[in-house]
Amino acid sequence: MDGLLEHMYSRFWIPLQVVWPALVAAVALAVAGGIAGVFVVLRREALMVLAMPQIVMLGAAIGLRFDMPALPPALATAAAALGLIGWFRHRDRGDLILPALYVGGLSLAILMVANAGAHLTEVQNLFCGVDVAVRTDEAIFGSAILLIAGGICGILWRRWLLFAQASIAAQLAGLHPVRWNALFLVLLGIILVVATNTVGTVMVWTLVFLPPATVLPRARSLPVAMAAAAMVGIACVVLGFALSVTMGWPFSHSVAGAGFCLFLAWHVLGHALGRRTA
Amino acid sequence: MLVELSQCVFGYGPRPVVQVDRLEISEGECLGVFGPNGSGKTTLVAGIAGLRRPMAGTVWRSDRTRFSFLPQHRSLERQWPMSGLDAAGLAVSAWRPLGWLGGDSRRVRAQMDALGVRDLAARRFSQLSGGQQLRVLLAGALAAEPQILILDEPTDGLDVRSRAALLEILRAETGTGLCAILISHDVEDLLEAADRVAWLHVSQEPQAASRVEIVDPAELGRRVAAGGR
Repeated sequence: MDGLLEHMYSRFWIPLQVVWPALVAAVALAVAGGIAGVFVVLRREALMVLAMPQIVMLGAAIGLRFDMPALPPALATAAAALGLIGWFRHRDRGDLILPALYVGGLSLAILMVANAGAHLTEVQNLFCGVDVAVRTDEAIFGSAILLIAGGICGILWRRWLLFAQASIAAQLAGLHPVRWNALFLVLLGIILVVATNTVGTVMVWTLVFLPPATVLPRARSLPVAMAAAAMVGIACVVLGFALSVTMGWPFSHSVAGAGFCLFLAWHVLGHALGRRTA
Repeated sequence: MLVELSQCVFGYGPRPVVQVDRLEISEGECLGVFGPNGSGKTTLVAGIAGLRRPMAGTVWRSDRTRFSFLPQHRSLERQWPMSGLDAAGLAVSAWRPLGWLGGDSRRVRAQMDALGVRDLAARRFSQLSGGQQLRVLLAGALAAEPQILILDEPTDGLDVRSRAALLEILRAETGTGLCAILISHDVEDLLEAADRVAWLHVSQEPQAASRVEIVDPAELGRRVAAGGR
């Protein structure tokens, strides 16, 4: 028994002391991303989740290129991108802008630091999620922002439901769809910017999309879906951490792998059980 | 009186879509809105409800007028997970800060009880039949305590029994003072439920607005049966 505890201590506790800021940020993202991700999937905004981190990368690359902190330029590029998205959607051209932003962010971020060796590696790490070092202050600040934005998104679940199902009823009560849609995009933008800047793109894509996509087909109500997505997200982080430590794999990719396996297993198992009971 | 339209033209940008010389809407009546696709039925109702400003003319609404809307049950996004109570709470949540129902959920449940769908509150909405879905939504729309209820093609896709039940509820509610605006392609619905019908005639001239004629439902039935205008 003592041997097992000692083994667990050396296997997990020692690495935990090193990576706990990344783990805290990932858990906060699992909660916020799980809540917001439910609406991302239902509103068919998945492409936004793919494109926005690329735009954040561009901001981070600008910061690195000019020796500035990465967050302010990342926020600026994200705000500009949200403005562009809003303008294109207003002109019924929303389907064109997101793929363009994805390609633009991806290429311009690399071009911005193309001849600046160490910076190029940093940007590539943020892209890939390998060896993303999270400082304690980043983890605490980032987690607080993520939980606040995710919490607001969750509190307003009846508003998102109303606009999806009965927009005219909302307008008859004096509510403006454009403003509420803008609020959702801003909350999602905040989550994507802060999370990408803290833990990198792979973790963001994983925790905003996979847990909601896992639980939504069987959820009976939105609060249940949000809670289940957050729990699945946390399970992905814990599983990913265990895999990362035991196998020596990168943390983000381990979380993504765990998330994908859970997604697949849940759907295949659900289908099989559904057929058996049918 | 709840709403009065006088010499109104409603449209989009510079394009006029529908014009109405005079229309008064009062408590306890059911106004049918009838016309072919693209004639401007939705635009007219949006103008009545204040969602669209008139390009010309005046619209007067009583200060106490509250509108509620019954969406087409088939137009709802089915992949959104929601219970019967969530669906019924849509109309009420629109009037609540942050959308939380709070104490109003009791009113929604009571209305569901009155329409015999209380037992569907915890069921998944997408798994209910069309008739059940419509009654759940109607209970929610009535729980918002509107003076004017707008119904958009409510019998579309319903079986005979569900349709009859819906029209019966509608007649009972207008009997207690509710005003209903019933948008429908179905002359039978209007014959059964409407007191008057705003019939939209599409202009033969391109870019010209549809014209609204107020007719008796029986008159509408006769003229449609005769294939005339």
